Amino acid sequence: MTSKKSRLLRGVAIAFGVLGCQAGTGHANDSLIRATADANNWAMYGRGYDNTRFSPLSQITAQNAAQLKLAFAYQLGSLRSNEATPIVIGDTMYVSTSWGPKYVYALDAKTGQKKWQYEPDIPDDVMQYGCCDVVNRGVTYADGKIFVGRLDGFLAAVDAKSGEELWTTQVVDYKQGAVITSPPLVVKNLVISGFGGGEYGVRGSLQAYDINTGKQVWKTWTVPGPGEPGNETWKGDSWQHGGGVVWLIGSYDPKTNTVFYGTSNPSPWNAAVRSTGTSDYGNLRNLYTASTLAIDPDTGKIKWYLQSTPQDAWDFDGVNEAVLADLKIAGQDVPAMLKADRNGFFYVANRETGKLISAEKFVPTTWAEKIDIATAKPVEDPEKRAQIGRPAKDICPNLIGGKNWQPMSYNPGTGLVYIPSNNLCMGWSVSEVSYRKGVFYLGAEFPTSPGPGGYLGEIMAWDPVAQKKVWGVKEDLPFNGGTLTTAGGLVFYGNLHGVFRALDAKSGQELWKMNLGSGIGAGPISYSVDGKQYVAVVVGRTVSTAAFMGAIGNQIIEATPEGGALFVFSQ
Amino acid sequence: MSTSALRGRHRTGRPHRLDSRSGKVLAWLPAALLLLAPLPGHRVAAQEAHKEYPKPLRLCADPANLPFSSADSKTPGLYLEIGEAIGRAIGRAVTPVWNLTYFGKRAVRTTLLAGKCDASIGLPLDADFMGPRVIFSKPLLKVGYALVAPNSVAVAGLDELKGRRVAVQFATTPQSLLASRDDIQMVTYREPEEAMGALATGQVDAAFIWGPIAGYVNKTRLDNAFHVVSVIGPGLQWPAAIGFASGQTGLRQEVDQAIDSVAGEIEALKIKYGLPTEGPIKLGQGETAPRIMLAAMQNQQVSQAAPSTAVQPAEPAPPASDQNSGEIAAGQELFNGTCAHCHGPDAVTVERRINLRLMKRRYGDKMDETFMFTVMNGRPEKGMPDWSGAFNNDQFTKILSFLHSVQTR
Repeated sequence: MTSKKSRLLRGVAIAFGVLGCQAGTGHANDSLIRATADANNWAMYGRGYDNTRFSPLSQITAQNAAQLKLAFAYQLGSLRSNEATPIVIGDTMYVSTSWGPKYVYALDAKTGQKKWQYEPDIPDDVMQYGCCDVVNRGVTYADGKIFVGRLDGFLAAVDAKSGEELWTTQVVDYKQGAVITSPPLVVKNLVISGFGGGEYGVRGSLQAYDINTGKQVWKTWTVPGPGEPGNETWKGDSWQHGGGVVWLIGSYDPKTNTVFYGTSNPSPWNAAVRSTGTSDYGNLRNLYTASTLAIDPDTGKIKWYLQSTPQDAWDFDGVNEAVLADLKIAGQDVPAMLKADRNGFFYVANRETGKLISAEKFVPTTWAEKIDIATAKPVEDPEKRAQIGRPAKDICPNLIGGKNWQPMSYNPGTGLVYIPSNNLCMGWSVSEVSYRKGVFYLGAEFPTSPGPGGYLGEIMAWDPVAQKKVWGVKEDLPFNGGTLTTAGGLVFYGNLHGVFRALDAKSGQELWKMNLGSGIGAGPISYSVDGKQYVAVVVGRTVSTAAFMGAIGNQIIEATPEGGALFVFSQ
Repeated sequence: MSTSALRGRHRTGRPHRLDSRSGKVLAWLPAALLLLAPLPGHRVAAQEAHKEYPKPLRLCADPANLPFSSADSKTPGLYLEIGEAIGRAIGRAVTPVWNLTYFGKRAVRTTLLAGKCDASIGLPLDADFMGPRVIFSKPLLKVGYALVAPNSVAVAGLDELKGRRVAVQFATTPQSLLASRDDIQMVTYREPEEAMGALATGQVDAAFIWGPIAGYVNKTRLDNAFHVVSVIGPGLQWPAAIGFASGQTGLRQEVDQAIDSVAGEIEALKIKYGLPTEGPIKLGQGETAPRIMLAAMQNQQVSQAAPSTAVQPAEPAPPASDQNSGEIAAGQELFNGTCAHCHGPDAVTVERRINLRLMKRRYGDKMDETFMFTVMNGRPEKGMPDWSGAFNNDQFTKILSFLHSVQTR
């Protein structure tokens, strides 16, 4: 690095204000802040700690997007459910695959030439214990290391130059049906990770590890234990197996030194075990499940919470990513946190105070009429809570939610959020017999049906201030891919027919498309090397949707074959 | 050397495989054996050896799942031993295909339905369990939840557990039942073995957990210090059967016959593996309908909202003739007071399986006798209690009249 460049970067670092140097513990945070400050990079999952997935690059524009062509492709060597967002620092791209991950590749970001690959040793029986699809949503870079969350419940640190494994640490025992599927978050000298799964009564937690040694520094239960505030929101001993796992992505606000993570739904599915089972739940809200948590990254202490779905009975995980954006609302500058929740409501909150500012339906939603802004409490339709012997029907959205894990993006130029949304409804009844290790038990059934309007998915441009849809591109299938938005005035996304598109960010007009051969769920990125801008996306459709979407899930599976490839485009 | 000698020489100790398509016996014949002359004894063996050796019966089994199955040959497990008995009865050796059944339905999809094994023993005999891709043999035995208490403590129902600490398994019917009872202290465990451990160390006073596991632990590790009493009621007991992929009707037929012939062995194996012998106790109505649910039902009846978006058209009971309109109305009231809790107000429900408006279509002329038999005997494995103690014949007749008045054409 030339001294001129390093001076420039130091300047950039200072311009970003206090960067955690106040903690005085290492320079890891600095490396990541520097990397994200460089417009050419895509240094983390959501491009930055704010998870906006907004690229400041503008070489590719609405005017020339039609000329995009393939720069290179890279076959990932792993089929099925490829959900990774690649990251690019300098001229190196790091991308992970499904199945473990089976591979993490370091590639030349200009040519696709492989620099190294990391092939973790995942035990054979992980697949039998693994609750969920065999996905990996990407890796995290900091301090010359690449951090990988694995399906065997381990977090690994790998040398970014050589791919050599430096340390591993066990986050969770995979024999509990728990897995890691999302990249960790690095804040200062800590690597923060949750885990997923826990269908069989795991208690959720978020934990942080030393960046150099992998030693655990703190662990915070997302379901409080006796004596801790919030424990009284659980009936009897149900908190012990309460769920609330943290399986997706965190965000970080350096200004207030706060990390934001969402928690999954509570367990067991029979809400009467952990609460009242009816809309009259009083204080039995099952904290902090289906919530956004604001956490002190140094200690793991919960600063505040915003619960989207108290005593959830519909699988409305609160895990969707918190996008941090500074908005102007009613003439005021608001440091906002935006969340398109599974439960069908788009939340806008003040990320410094935790105060809810607005929450409006962004997809057809029937389980609740509205969210009371003063208390954040949903005004429910009691009929939408099923009980043993009394099923509920026409619940919208269905359990995959108004938006699922597929990421949204925010463009400060247009002021719009680009949401890959779903339009599905469901019934809910308890009658299906299931079995596990010789034991029979009753499970829930949730037959899926289309939402109103004759389309199952929609890429919508949402105004978070007015809380209104500005435009939408309807899709015939749900569960479409995440969005990217750029300063060139573009939105990129892929659908489950494998078609990757560029849209005009202001109008939604289609400017370019290409059929990439397998359904796309992952979020695309944009980066630049040697003055040339690229757009990249990982392709490879999911397999597990039939299990929770029935016939519609089958349509998804039949739409394209399995795949596993990285495609990179440029002018 | 004669050709009969060649035929005799395929007894080499390796199992032979019958290629059913071509009918040929594929034999491996080491060159050395060609040098041996046939002896009289060998000729008899040769004749037997010439018989076609059927393919082994591949049984899907969890290698670490006692009392049901285990890879430890000293204790193969109840289902593996039943499988071996059936194998003997149909003349096929049994080979286990090990796979963890932590996620049961997925285990079935990736093994049985992927052709990796021929049969899976110990699946719930229920048409809705992965049907129609999975078909079942006749039932082998009943399995279900059981109350477990020290021998000195009599257990006739849930009321005896008042004031006690009772272990339950996470996400099971007992957990749901006890959750609504504030007079019983429920202690939840993820695995039934953990619950038995807590019982053994006195951390709980009783357990309401999966009977076969309780029985096995009680017999093999706790010296029969406890008694294990089966319980029946909605979601508490099911028949267990052998599952096959839907195309395997021939094999199923064979196995069904074998099940009859090995009935005695099954009984002996149940004892060997400590399956509960006491009970079943029928949990009474008050105990099976959680209080919270009943309160919700009452609220619902007060608002009397006929479902406007029901899948089946919500036909109101048509006006009846004078002579039986009173009977139909009385039957409707009885129905909505009790049956509606599961079967829906006015028998309107989206669940096809329990939609009583389809009885005429399903049973035709046998609707009345099916109705009477079912309400008098219940269908415990399907969660339908027997109501013979709750209603008299006259009341049943009125309910039946009401149901006749709302049958779907």
